[in-house]
Amino acid sequence: MKVTFKDISKQYRGKYALKNFSAELENGIYGLLGENGAGKTTLINIFVGILKSDQGQVLINEMDVRILGTDFLSQIGYLPQYPQFYKNFEVMDFLRYMCVLKDIPKEKGEKRAKELLDIVNLSEAHNKKIGELSGGMRQRIGIVQAMLGDPGILILDEPTAGLDPQERIRFRNLIAKFSENRIVLLATHIVSDVEFIANQVILLKGGQLVKQDTPQKLIRGMAGKVWDVTATDETVDEKLERLNISNMMRDRDKIYLRVIADEKPDAEALIVKANLEDVFLYYSGAGKAW
Amino acid sequence: MVDLIIFECRKHFLKTSILVAILLFSILNVAKIYTVYHQNSLLSPNFSDPKWKKLYWEMYEDFRGEMSEEKVQKLMSIYEPLEKQTADQTASTRTDNPNTYTGNIYNDFLFFKWCLVQPMEHAYMYGNYAQKIVTNAKENIKFYESVGNQYEMSKNAAIANMFKGRAISDFSYTEMYQYYVHYDFSAFLVLLICLYALMSVFVSEKETEMDTLLLTTRFGGQQTVSAKLVASVIFIGFICTWFWLLDFASFSIIFGSMEGASVPLFVLENFVNSSIHVSLAQYALISSMLKTVGIVVLGLAFLLISSLFKNALLPFIMSLFVAFGLIYFGEAYMGSGKVLLKSINPFILVVNRELFRTTEFINLFGFPVLAYIPALLFSAVWGIGCCIGITLVLKKNALVKKGGKKRVIMEI
Repeated sequence: MKVTFKDISKQYRGKYALKNFSAELENGIYGLLGENGAGKTTLINIFVGILKSDQGQVLINEMDVRILGTDFLSQIGYLPQYPQFYKNFEVMDFLRYMCVLKDIPKEKGEKRAKELLDIVNLSEAHNKKIGELSGGMRQRIGIVQAMLGDPGILILDEPTAGLDPQERIRFRNLIAKFSENRIVLLATHIVSDVEFIANQVILLKGGQLVKQDTPQKLIRGMAGKVWDVTATDETVDEKLERLNISNMMRDRDKIYLRVIADEKPDAEALIVKANLEDVFLYYSGAGKAW
Repeated sequence: MVDLIIFECRKHFLKTSILVAILLFSILNVAKIYTVYHQNSLLSPNFSDPKWKKLYWEMYEDFRGEMSEEKVQKLMSIYEPLEKQTADQTASTRTDNPNTYTGNIYNDFLFFKWCLVQPMEHAYMYGNYAQKIVTNAKENIKFYESVGNQYEMSKNAAIANMFKGRAISDFSYTEMYQYYVHYDFSAFLVLLICLYALMSVFVSEKETEMDTLLLTTRFGGQQTVSAKLVASVIFIGFICTWFWLLDFASFSIIFGSMEGASVPLFVLENFVNSSIHVSLAQYALISSMLKTVGIVVLGLAFLLISSLFKNALLPFIMSLFVAFGLIYFGEAYMGSGKVLLKSINPFILVVNRELFRTTEFINLFGFPVLAYIPALLFSAVWGIGCCIGITLVLKKNALVKKGGKKRVIMEI
């Protein structure tokens, strides 16, 4: 399957939330990275039809999704940001309801729901009320409902927001498990969510595509741009002001700064190996906020 | 669609809080009906001598059914001496008089006057009253014919036709119906329950962020909105049926009888000029159905208001305001001749006796139309308007809107 975004733009009150966005996705996991307000949710909402773009097209296998209509919807599994679902529904009832909404035959849906609950390790919770579940369990129910129709495209909007580290890792592994033979579009501002599982990363800033590539290539492209700078209490303020800092660590009276810069930022600066977070900060410019 | 409706019912209405509200309001309703009986019934121990109730049902056995000269004579042979003895207020006031029915002659007089003579007199004389209306209407026709007023002629012809041959042949106990048809408290309770329950139908989807998820599913758009509307109407229908049945059962049990079901509606004093010729039981059914329609329309208005907001509090207050506003206007025009203003208000269907207790017409392109017909039409317009409003207001999937019918050949 191939998804093509062609020159998509969306404005809110004269301000671009998404501007001339174009990208091509084929089977695999795509990490949609960007700060809050970068246009991730807007792009997803346009993709799934919740929003109408001002211009541009979304094509599935070269066919406009607007022509496909509801047939397109049966090909997507979507997990929105912060879903609460229905607190008074039992897990299995909620999944049955989602099967009805997705037009999945009763028996097939029931079987699929049980399989998926097993995969996400929630078989025991099938008769629990959704209101009794933890945030992590609820997110796992979220991915189960998204996967019910065995969709070709799985769209996850900030799926790990609010989860503890253990649940986040568990959820990441689930995404990897469900990515076989489908397109997974994972929008997040948490770099570690996509660092190890994404086949490609799409970097968004101010509604525009900044970069799209594999994490490895993006990291390689940062070679020679990440530095380790040592500071003291006396010099740290000046350095924080002047440099683009991605991390800071104190060891007794020394302060180690991880700096992103095209040129050597300090006489004693040492080059270190870049990671995806550095890539994100380099392109988004978020480190300058110090 | 049926599955969607069932899930919508479960999602929004099968809640502990709603069930508790129904239970508590049902208890309150029965208590209120008991109060109506206790404070108003001629046979309640609070209102009259406790002996009245027993005496009434004994006497009722003698006088019930078709009114004959013989029955009237028999009743008058008891009543007239009592009337004479008490006329100058000089009769004995002792309360253990063995020659009386209740132990006191004044008590006897009032019992017969209020419980038997006046109701029987009203029933007996109704034929004459109706005939007088027919005569007046015919005179009016002649007059309006002479001045060339076609509309008034048609109106009076309709009145003459409506009241022609009207009579009450049977004497029956109707006190229960007298209070039953004027009882509105249960409708108020139903309105409150509906207001509470319906607020969550659209708002909860937004509060739980499910609205976006629904829009990305095949049946999560228009079908779900339709399912919500149908589920809401089913819920209103269920609540109304429950409360109207509870009303009827409670009135029958507390008043001790549901006698009079087959006598005409105009046997009730407030309905002597009624535009419909139906029995009390038929009226109870019609009235219940119209009340339900009225509450459905108000419910749809609540749904429309709630669909505009993201949380329940503000639409709850606004819906309450709308409900009380409609009640206020309903009360303001009640009993007035402003038939159009009465009919335009959907609340009129909830207190529909206002439509049926008198014969009122609306001039529709020169034709006299009985007030309840435009009232029903206006309510239908309001209801359809609310449904259209809801479908317009709610978010739609931009893809489905333009959705074609081509099948996707997906290479998965």
